This record gives sequence, structure tokens and C-alpha cells, in this order.
Amino acid sequence: MTNCSRRVLLGAFAALPGISVLADLMPAAAAAPQKSAAEQFIRQSGERLVNIVNGPGSASQKAHKLRVLVDEIVAVSQIGRFVLGRFWNVATPEQRQQYMALFHKLLAFNITTQIRAYVGITFQVLGAQNGPEGETVSTVINRPDHPPANVQWVVQDIKGALKIIDVVVEGTSLRITERSDYASVISDNGGQVAALLEAMKNQLKRMEANE
Amino acid sequence: MANAIRPFLALCGLCVSLVGCATPPPKKDKLAYQAYQQQNDPLKPMNQAFYKVNNVLDTYIMLPVAEGYDRVTSQPFRNHVTDFMNNLSAPGQLLCFMAAGKPTDAGTTLVRFLVNSTIGMGGIFDPASALGYHRVYTDLGLTLAGYGVPPGPYLYLPLFGPSGLRDATSIPADVVLSPTFPAPGSTALTAFNISSNALNLVNLRAELIGPIKNIKETALDPYATFRSLYRQHRASELHTINVSNVPTVPAWYPPAERRAMQKALDAKYRRGF
Repeated sequence: MTNCSRRVLLGAFAALPGISVLADLMPAAAAAPQKSAAEQFIRQSGERLVNIVNGPGSASQKAHKLRVLVDEIVAVSQIGRFVLGRFWNVATPEQRQQYMALFHKLLAFNITTQIRAYVGITFQVLGAQNGPEGETVSTVINRPDHPPANVQWVVQDIKGALKIIDVVVEGTSLRITERSDYASVISDNGGQVAALLEAMKNQLKRMEANE
Repeated sequence: MANAIRPFLALCGLCVSLVGCATPPPKKDKLAYQAYQQQNDPLKPMNQAFYKVNNVLDTYIMLPVAEGYDRVTSQPFRNHVTDFMNNLSAPGQLLCFMAAGKPTDAGTTLVRFLVNSTIGMGGIFDPASALGYHRVYTDLGLTLAGYGVPPGPYLYLPLFGPSGLRDATSIPADVVLSPTFPAPGSTALTAFNISSNALNLVNLRAELIGPIKNIKETALDPYATFRSLYRQHRASELHTINVSNVPTVPAWYPPAERRAMQKALDAKYRRGF
């Protein structure tokens, strides 16, 4: 290789990071002025959540605060109905009521046990786009000593208030995963919704004991 | 190679005949039958048996080793191990992208391999990402999916974990497409292969300590949850490949033909693969 072509190659390598930095800055600058309501909702909810997790208080106090927040920002009833899927029509009105109460408690427990351990968590909102189910807000969640995770929040307007109806982590949806989990318990027990309610009760007892 | 596959097939056949298949619900129960088809897990009894075996191995061997490794290493160190392993799999992925007809991704993978193997000191560092060549993942299973090969029944493999009939082809393919495969055999090479594979396994398990613990704690049926997560993850990998490499309709084609081709292409993307 001649000196000249080597210089050109090295120059190209030196210029590349500069180009990629420019490319990074340009869409951000273009998108900066407009922020959708869903994006703002996720930003505010995320900040409240991070403040609780990184804030003062004992573990059980934090868990209580998180449960209150989850009730406020997550569309628990809609998710519960989706997760039970076709078995909703099979369940009796009493079973539906019991299921919703259990689902509500379990979801709050699942979310709080996972988030409570995330001390030092920070997040960044990347942007939002419209999807078939509502607006999807993309975020990156950073935890000390962990690789950053891409998390998307599906936000829907429910009776005039914005609520989270799904969380997608690295391409896997929380409510679709829950639906196959619950459907599997019911199918394995001959299509009995009662078996699912029993399993949920046992799970709740286990989680309460661990807290 | 055929000699190596024969005992594996014989073992699979033996397992199926010993444990049996799942019984489908009667066809007249339409919803239940549809759900069974959608679940696509006719070998469930065998899969669940392997799931239990893996769980025991994981609890007593893999998890303690991974936890020890996690304690003595830092996140940057684990990232470098991941980068090194990713670089080793780049030549195989390059061939997969070429076979899949994804020139953009193939080019990106080639540049990444050249830059990371040299400036990145054999792949320990990942300067290619900083240059804007971000990693896109593929394997033989995803390439076959691009050809329209259906996923086939779900498989839970001993040691390897969740997979499927189509995706399991990636396991022998990864071995054959590894850059160390064509090198003449030697003690040093064997030692390198064994230690790098072991390190990869431990590193991967260490990165998943938290998520796997969470799933086992919160799921009512962890087996079904892992199955669903695996399928969604594969679908998302395939989606990433498809959106990251959009084939363009050649500019020199007549306008009417271009419009028709573009329409067909758009419909294909909307429908998904």
C-alpha cells in the first residue's frame, strides 16, 4: 500500500466517529421541539418511580409507595382482562371478580419486587411512536453493574387518563408472556379457571411471606 | 459430520418414544384445539423432562459457578468477554447474512469483524460500534426463517435450553462456521475451544442471574413462561433483521414495475415473516 492511500484510509477512520456523532445529533435536534403526551407521561412516571427507589425509607415503605404508584399509572384491569384471554368467557362472575382482585395484588407485587432491588437506577426517554395498541414510548434503563436495557412502554388513553397497558423488554411483551403463563396453568388442569385462582393464591402467599 | 448426527437423532427418537407426545384436545373443542396448535409444543412431556434435568444442573452447577464469576468480575470485564465471543461468531453470521440475501447486514458484519479483530485486539474491544457499525444478530435458524421455513415444534434441549426444530440447526452450524473449525487440530486449539466455550457459557449465565431468578419467582408456570419468552425473543430478532436491512427496489426499473414491486414488498413487511 502506498503512503498516500494509507493516509486516505486513516483519514477515513478518523472522520467516521465524527460523522456518526453528527448523525446522532441531527435527529435529536429535529425531534426536540415536539414531545407527545405519552412521552411526557412516561418521563414523569419514571421520575416518580426512580425517586421512590433511590429515595429514603425502609424496604416495606418503598414497596407500599411503589404499589400506590403502580395502581395510578398502570391499567391493571385492562391487562388482567387481556391476560385471562379466552378463559374470561368460561369464568363465572364470582371467579372473574376473584381473579381481578388476585391479579391486581400479584401484578403490584411482581413489579415492586423487581424494581425495589434496582437502587441507583436511571432512565432516558428516547422517543415515541404510534402503534396499533396505542403510543409506544422507548426508554433505556441503566443500572449500576448491569448492561443497559431497552424497554418500551405501551401507553393508552383510558377514560381520559394515560395509562401503561404493556411493557416490552428486549422484544418480549409482559402481558403476552403472562397470558401464556396463565393459559398453561388452566390447560394443564383440564380448562379449570379455579386451578388458576388456586395457583395465584399460593403465589401471593409466597410473595407476602418473602417481603 | 453425518456420523456425529446419527447418535443424536437416535437419542431424540429414544426420548420421544420413552416419554411420549402430548395429547391434543378433541377437534370439536375449537378454541382449545386452536390454542394447542398455537402452543406448538407436541413434545411437551419430553421437553418438560429435559427442563427438569436442566433445572437441577443449573441449580447445583451453573448458577453457583456463575455467581462466583459474577462476584470476581466487573461489568466492563464481562462486556469484553461478550465482545470477544461475538467477534468469534462474526464469520458464521457473515455467511448467514449472505445466504439470507442481506447485503447491508453482511457488509456491516464483515467490517465489524475486520475492525474488531485488528484495532479491537482480537475482538476484546468493540471499536466498530463506535464507528457506527452496530451489531446485528443472526444465525442459521433465522436465515431459514427468512426462506419461509416454519419454526417446527418447540424443543427444550438438554444443556442448550429453549429451541425449536428449525432453530436447533444453529447449534451444529455454529460449530462448523466457527473460525477455529477449519484450523488443523492441535492440543492448543482444543484447549482454546473448550475454555472459550466454557467462559462464554458462564459469562452468559452470569448476565442472566437476575432475569432468570425473577421469572422463576414470579411465574406460575416457569416452563410455559420460558417458552413464550423464547418465541417472542426470536420473533423480535427476526423483525430486527428485516427492518435493519430494507432491500430497495432498483432505480432503473420502469416506474409501473417499481410501484408494483414496492407494494408487494410493503405488504410482505406488514404481514411479517
